[in-house]
Amino acid sequence: MNVTERYKKNLMVSNEDGMTKAMESVKTIVYSTDPRDMGLVRKSIPCQNACPAKTNIPGYIRCIHEGRYGRSYELNRMANILPGVLGRICSKPCELFCRHGESDLGKSVSICSLKRSAADLKSPLHRIMEGLYSPSGKTVAVVGAGPAGLGAAHELSVLGHRVVLFEAFDKPGGMLMYGIPEFRLPRDVLMLEVENILRLGVVLKTGVRVGRDISLDELLSEFEAVVITTGCPVPNRLNVPGEDLENVYPGLEFMERVNRGEKPYVGKTVMVIGDGFTAMDCARSALRLGATEVKINIRKTEEYMPIDDLEKHEVKFEKIRFYSLVDTQRILGENGRVTGIEFLRTKLEYSPSPPYRTASVMPDSEFIVPADSVIVAIGQRPEPSGVSASIEADGSRIRTVKDRFSTNIKGVFAAGDCMSGASNVISAISRGRNCALDVDEYLTGRKRKIQVVRLESVPSTDRDRSYDFIPRTPMDTLDFDQRVKPGNPEVEKGYTAEQAADESKRCYLCSLVYTIDTSRCIYCSACIDVAPRDCIKMAEDVPVMEDGSLSAVTETKKWNRVAAIAIDNERCIRCGKCYEVCPMNCIHVTKTELIELNIED
Amino acid sequence: MPSNDHYVIIGNGPAGNHAADVLRKNDPDARITLLSNESMLFYYKHKLPALIKGTIGDTELSVKGARDYKEKNIRLRLGQEVERIDPRENRIYLKHMEIMSYTKLLIASGASPRVLPLVSNFAKHLKLFSSFTDALNQIGDIRNGRRYLVLGGDLVSFKFVRMLKSMGKEVDCLLYPDAFWPFTLTKDMAEAVNKSLTKDGIRVLSNDGLKSMNQTCEGIDVVTDNGYTATFDSVYAFLGMVPNISFALGSGIDTDRGILVNDHLKTNFNNVYAAGDCAQIYNPDIKSYWLSVGWKNAAVQGAVAAENLLGAGYVITPSPKSILSVEGFTVDTSWWENFD
Repeated sequence: MNVTERYKKNLMVSNEDGMTKAMESVKTIVYSTDPRDMGLVRKSIPCQNACPAKTNIPGYIRCIHEGRYGRSYELNRMANILPGVLGRICSKPCELFCRHGESDLGKSVSICSLKRSAADLKSPLHRIMEGLYSPSGKTVAVVGAGPAGLGAAHELSVLGHRVVLFEAFDKPGGMLMYGIPEFRLPRDVLMLEVENILRLGVVLKTGVRVGRDISLDELLSEFEAVVITTGCPVPNRLNVPGEDLENVYPGLEFMERVNRGEKPYVGKTVMVIGDGFTAMDCARSALRLGATEVKINIRKTEEYMPIDDLEKHEVKFEKIRFYSLVDTQRILGENGRVTGIEFLRTKLEYSPSPPYRTASVMPDSEFIVPADSVIVAIGQRPEPSGVSASIEADGSRIRTVKDRFSTNIKGVFAAGDCMSGASNVISAISRGRNCALDVDEYLTGRKRKIQVVRLESVPSTDRDRSYDFIPRTPMDTLDFDQRVKPGNPEVEKGYTAEQAADESKRCYLCSLVYTIDTSRCIYCSACIDVAPRDCIKMAEDVPVMEDGSLSAVTETKKWNRVAAIAIDNERCIRCGKCYEVCPMNCIHVTKTELIELNIED
Repeated sequence: MPSNDHYVIIGNGPAGNHAADVLRKNDPDARITLLSNESMLFYYKHKLPALIKGTIGDTELSVKGARDYKEKNIRLRLGQEVERIDPRENRIYLKHMEIMSYTKLLIASGASPRVLPLVSNFAKHLKLFSSFTDALNQIGDIRNGRRYLVLGGDLVSFKFVRMLKSMGKEVDCLLYPDAFWPFTLTKDMAEAVNKSLTKDGIRVLSNDGLKSMNQTCEGIDVVTDNGYTATFDSVYAFLGMVPNISFALGSGIDTDRGILVNDHLKTNFNNVYAAGDCAQIYNPDIKSYWLSVGWKNAAVQGAVAAENLLGAGYVITPSPKSILSVEGFTVDTSWWENFD
């Protein structure tokens, strides 16, 4: 069939309403800003809602299932400009909320690994897509080329503004370049994605520290807006005796030196204090510097560590041990060098704030363990005064207008960890991007992008119920002896195309929302009979929430009070069984996606 | 006045059964439910090698029969796996989607063989052996096979090696002194083990590790770091035990290596206690947390936990050290063994 014939066929009358197929397709795609639809997206797609960047996760996983890796990568890139990077080092808040990980449904989908697989498996000649706006003639300085700065610079460039990116270090990337070890994030992967941002015309000036080499006032005289994204450069201290001994390293400084190619002395026995990703990176890097015994000491227990099980497994696989329920009292030394640490045992106690458990020390429980070096990785904080003393701060964070990114100085904005406190890479990228939209509104006097819900009727899910029983696909990694060798080879090998296809099948595709047309439903309850869990309910009412979104249905067991049979899309696993058995074809499947539209189109 | 309590005990080992007996004796009217994920009645684990050798039968393995539970009005539910606990709502969620309510709960779920990360790459080739079900599944393979590799990382491994040898099998034992459980195997101890096993015709691989394992039609081809290669019918891993507490993770009950309890064996919930191999307790004498091992400890802890569920307030104390004789060396150990 040639193009003309296909066009004619699309215009053929297709149903009793006299509508053409072309008209029908127009009819079945709707863009909505209705709070009920916004609420539907939040509740129905828990992974996307948990992602700080609101990445279209079901969408890009579906593309992998179809072998469309390039499209999958681009879907990712719409919200997150570093998919290959985040596919390796993301803290994965989405996976905690994946419906497949609910207690009776198995393990969450390996979303992060799939994100990486799209980056790995796409064509090397892949086409990058950018929705570029006309040049605005406006200029913006972005201070700091870390995740937030890169996110802001990219979005501002897309919006047509001329951007100069100032970076204090020799290379761009911020913590990605200097905080994360190469065995987790190869630098060619990082630089490729940074280059994709720079090629939009962003001018990168490295080795320039704003506040020292150039003042904020000078920037304001040259640029129409300034975005500060200086992150959290100041390490937190234990504040215990012995912390200034020679072989005690702040975690961030230790990683920075390692990533510059230095080999700080660690000795044979290394004690790491801290429970986050930086602590794990320090411990694993110390091992690669020749340590034979590395212990990670934490105040609470593994359950409360802010890292995922996979990271814990990799750490243990490298023979690094966790020592839980200990608190550092002092670091011991001789002739200025570390010889050991004195700990107190701790116990868990109630805390009024999440996660509701805190560690308190137990009296008379002190004990000493020997150590050649100590790495203190207990977090870091911003340094607002480093850029300018006139920027107002809340504690150590730059103060911004509520829910916006503007600071107390006109034309100066702040985004990322310097305004939020230490967070994670995906949050920083998202804040950088959202800050850019604020800056754009400041420069142009109007909003140019809006988030809407795109609703498209689809014929069915074409998922197979058997997909629900596929076990989570683990990613292959290097053997231990291959890991600890020069060159810091990447530990995780990535998915093969077959592994990616298997894992992508597991996604329930929660963006497909199931609804029952109550005007056609005959209350036969056939759908309820085949439901694999309590996902179809007899509803008495659907209350409206304060924000205009719909609440969960009010259930009833009495038939005389049933107003409708309703599908609970927070419980639904999109198995399609109800759709198959409905004798009235009154169950509809709607692809529901949160997208960004240009207001002026 | 009849008791309205419903005591639920998770675990059908020595801790769970002793607790059930104490509860029944002191609270004749209460409902007592004992949950076990195994399908076998309470049995002697240390007799499993004899079952495999064929010197005893199933009936000699049992500690007590079903009639005993019936007489004591204890509801024994076999083959029931706990998926999670909601201690705020006093509910247990079972794998088969049943929800069970309790007023007082004792977790006595014991421990299972652990697969250390250092051998996790080979996990699909490794056989674990610690239960009646394991014995049933593997009895045929063991009786019919010829040559076995045993990863020796705990005391049970030596007993298993001896059992295989007594059945006329060819046995290699790869020693893991650094990862030994429940105490560190010193150089002297490792040498004593090596000497004792070698004397009886068992090949001991020391200062070595697994490099590769591949399943072929002949068996499992193993290559070690030192270049030793051989083909085995099966490879058994004995690398210590890990408490069975997965159902409690994230529930709000404090966990570390095991279920964290105070010296009354109480968790951070007033009506939830833990006893036996799954309970982790702070011991002020050694300024450390410890997990107990062994039948006798579990039985004592089960009884104490039950008394305390009834309101007694007994304190569990570390027992005096005892001396174990193992494969040519003796070791001072105690009821309370360092899990790390």
